[in-house]
Amino acid sequence: MAEMEILDADITRIRAKIAALHAHRANLSTILLSQPHLPSRLQPRPVLHEGNHRDAAARAEVQLKRNTENVYRACAGITSFKVKDPDPYAVDNGNVLGVRIEVSIGGRFIETYSVLFNRQDTQSKHVLKIHKHTIPPCIPLQQLANKWLPMSTKDAGVAPEQNLVRFGKSLRKELVSWHLRLAAIRTLRAEAGVDEKPKPATEEAQKPVIGIVLNAFVSDDESEEEDEDAGEDTVQSRHGGSIRIASIEADAAAREVLITWTNQRIGVIKVAKDGTVEKAVVRGADGTAQSAMSRAALGRIEGLVQRLAA
Amino acid sequence: MAPNTKASVPDYRNIPHAHRVPVNHREVQRIFSKLSRQSLISLALQWLAKKNRDFCRPYLLGDNDAAEADEDEQYTPAQSLDELQEIYKQLAARKGGKREVQDRILEGDWRTGISMYQLATADIQYLLDHTNSLRWTAKRLARIPNAKSAVLDMEVTNDSDHLPRFQAQTFMANLARELTPLMKAHYLLTKIKTLPMTILRVYMHDSPYSTEASLAAEMGSSDSAKAVFFIWPNGSPFVYSSIANHLGQGIGDDGRHLRDIVQQAIPKAFSRPSARYQLAGTNFSTKSLEALLNYRGSGKSNAAAGGWSVFQDHSFSQNALDFITSQNEKSSARTQATAGAQDNTSSASAIPSMGRPTKHTLDSTQSSDSKRRRAVAEGRFGTSALPGDGQGLERIEVRIDDAFPQTPGGGPQAVDESNARTANHDRRKGRPSILDRSIAEVEELEDGEAWVPDVRVVFQGPHVFAGIRQLVEQGVVDGEEMPGWMTGEAGVTVAAVKGGRIQTKKGHELDV
Repeated sequence: MAEMEILDADITRIRAKIAALHAHRANLSTILLSQPHLPSRLQPRPVLHEGNHRDAAARAEVQLKRNTENVYRACAGITSFKVKDPDPYAVDNGNVLGVRIEVSIGGRFIETYSVLFNRQDTQSKHVLKIHKHTIPPCIPLQQLANKWLPMSTKDAGVAPEQNLVRFGKSLRKELVSWHLRLAAIRTLRAEAGVDEKPKPATEEAQKPVIGIVLNAFVSDDESEEEDEDAGEDTVQSRHGGSIRIASIEADAAAREVLITWTNQRIGVIKVAKDGTVEKAVVRGADGTAQSAMSRAALGRIEGLVQRLAA
Repeated sequence: MAPNTKASVPDYRNIPHAHRVPVNHREVQRIFSKLSRQSLISLALQWLAKKNRDFCRPYLLGDNDAAEADEDEQYTPAQSLDELQEIYKQLAARKGGKREVQDRILEGDWRTGISMYQLATADIQYLLDHTNSLRWTAKRLARIPNAKSAVLDMEVTNDSDHLPRFQAQTFMANLARELTPLMKAHYLLTKIKTLPMTILRVYMHDSPYSTEASLAAEMGSSDSAKAVFFIWPNGSPFVYSSIANHLGQGIGDDGRHLRDIVQQAIPKAFSRPSARYQLAGTNFSTKSLEALLNYRGSGKSNAAAGGWSVFQDHSFSQNALDFITSQNEKSSARTQATAGAQDNTSSASAIPSMGRPTKHTLDSTQSSDSKRRRAVAEGRFGTSALPGDGQGLERIEVRIDDAFPQTPGGGPQAVDESNARTANHDRRKGRPSILDRSIAEVEELEDGEAWVPDVRVVFQGPHVFAGIRQLVEQGVVDGEEMPGWMTGEAGVTVAAVKGGRIQTKKGHELDV
């Protein structure tokens, strides 16, 4: 038995080593291919194997293109590209203009979004229409398109004024601020010590799939509800002073955050797109508003936990 | 418990979670017999958890007040809830049959009845265990345009909200207010941990009473489905609805009618003053929850289906700091797409094609037919439509709206009606479908010169688009001439096609 385990461990170690070496080789070849003068040095000399030479030149070319592309993407944030719609029935012979938006947070590029445009009407050359996109629905893409890329309405013939640059800018702003809000909420969770770490896969089977029941108290049995509330209160008061945040939940757009404390106190805060806490309501277990805390919550979303703890 | 359990007086209340139905009720038997052993144990443990105990009171030794100590009872009632929890944990730890647990629940610990809460959670558990068990229709909550605030609606500001706001308590109160005059119902609204969605189960009780006695009395009556499900994927304007009909159980007119009532109440419950919503169809229905979340979910995939799926992940645009080119050589088509992606700043060579085979044959020396076809399929379908990706659509229905070709090969319309597509068309006359032409459309067609027959194509199977992809790879369907809707890029399951393109209805905005 033990022998098997040792062998298994050996195999996994060797596999990991192979993967690491592969990555290292890819890295080295990239560095080599990115040498500034490589293309020119590959050019003139007659060589023994013409095939090898052509292969090398092609690889250097690919690498050069990739480098240029990446530099533009990393520095500009919004780049455009052209693709061909493979659909033989596509409008405008399948010419598609893509706009790519990079979102970088904390020193790394975390996501790339694309919007693909086509020209519905080949007459008006500059009127673009959104064809496909990968923007999540919590971003107001349609509203932005209505504003900056209006389509010609009933009185056709007059090409509407479209502003692709402003559209790209405002869309990027929406996307980046959304990711920043998501990151801010992750930070809040870490600060409050309620990190939702995914459990190891072995426990998956045991985990109940049904989450919080949202209408647990909508039942009409008033008396029962009160009884339970009272019961919870006494339990909590016995715990004494150790009141802390039990959970922080946010909606998908990270605009509304629900904070629950261990003593049944509940706070709902509304976050503007730029990360300011606009409105906040905190209520105790008995339903009374706690205005001091609500006021403390207003301000930037960063540091919310500290302000609420103070 | 409600004080007037015995007296049957019509009232205006919902059915509370704690109301119980007898264990031999048809719904109880049906739901419990479908669940697996593991799910049953997990459910029992949830019911015994502190926060749920009020809704799921088990039968304990102390409850045996009538001193009717049955000698032959199979399960001795437990002393306390904690003891019961221990029993179920032990059951979870060891292996055994599912019957053992089911009998213990129904004949032992909850012999006095299964509460509505238990019934609902059990039903949801089954739904999540078998995500292909029900047929779902996706709808979109669309804002009813308001003449006054039309300008405001378009504005995107720092604090504007374009999605309907979902506040569970307000929503439940509004929904109950809409529905209680029409029917008694039990609601369970819950968040799901494993999938990004909120689920609402409405158990419809067609009776003027909301008492336990009336719930139990219902068992003799109709056999149609009683519960409807609604699902909100988090952070999206969509709602999925379904009738919880069990295998072999018909959906009666009553069930359909009740579902429609609940469905009509939902946009009203979402609406606020100055922001009114309605449910708009999205021409999409399927059995697979995963597919729903992919085509009408909250992620990047809604409007980039089919071949455009390469834009969702990093197969088209690598990370902006990923400079390594040599590793991506696994699939030739993918590197082509990546290498071909040019900024408009780099040299203006020919526009790269995503899947046009001309390019592939040019620089691939290994152009055997099957490899080429596979490359074409890769270009048309991208990373989508792979068997086993769990996102299979099982039925696609399209109506071909092209004019009948006048003379063979005379004109571009004839080319449209090319090869395999016409092979399996099927004229359907029967129950009305949303594909039936409206009167206006029919008139429009009659005005025209050409004859446009009502031709419909239905694709059916466990994963339709994976099937078409395989047909392309095997050369049955010509991957280059195939219209785009056959790759699933339109993201609809019902559509009308004209000139090789999906027709969008007027006023239909982007399905975001």
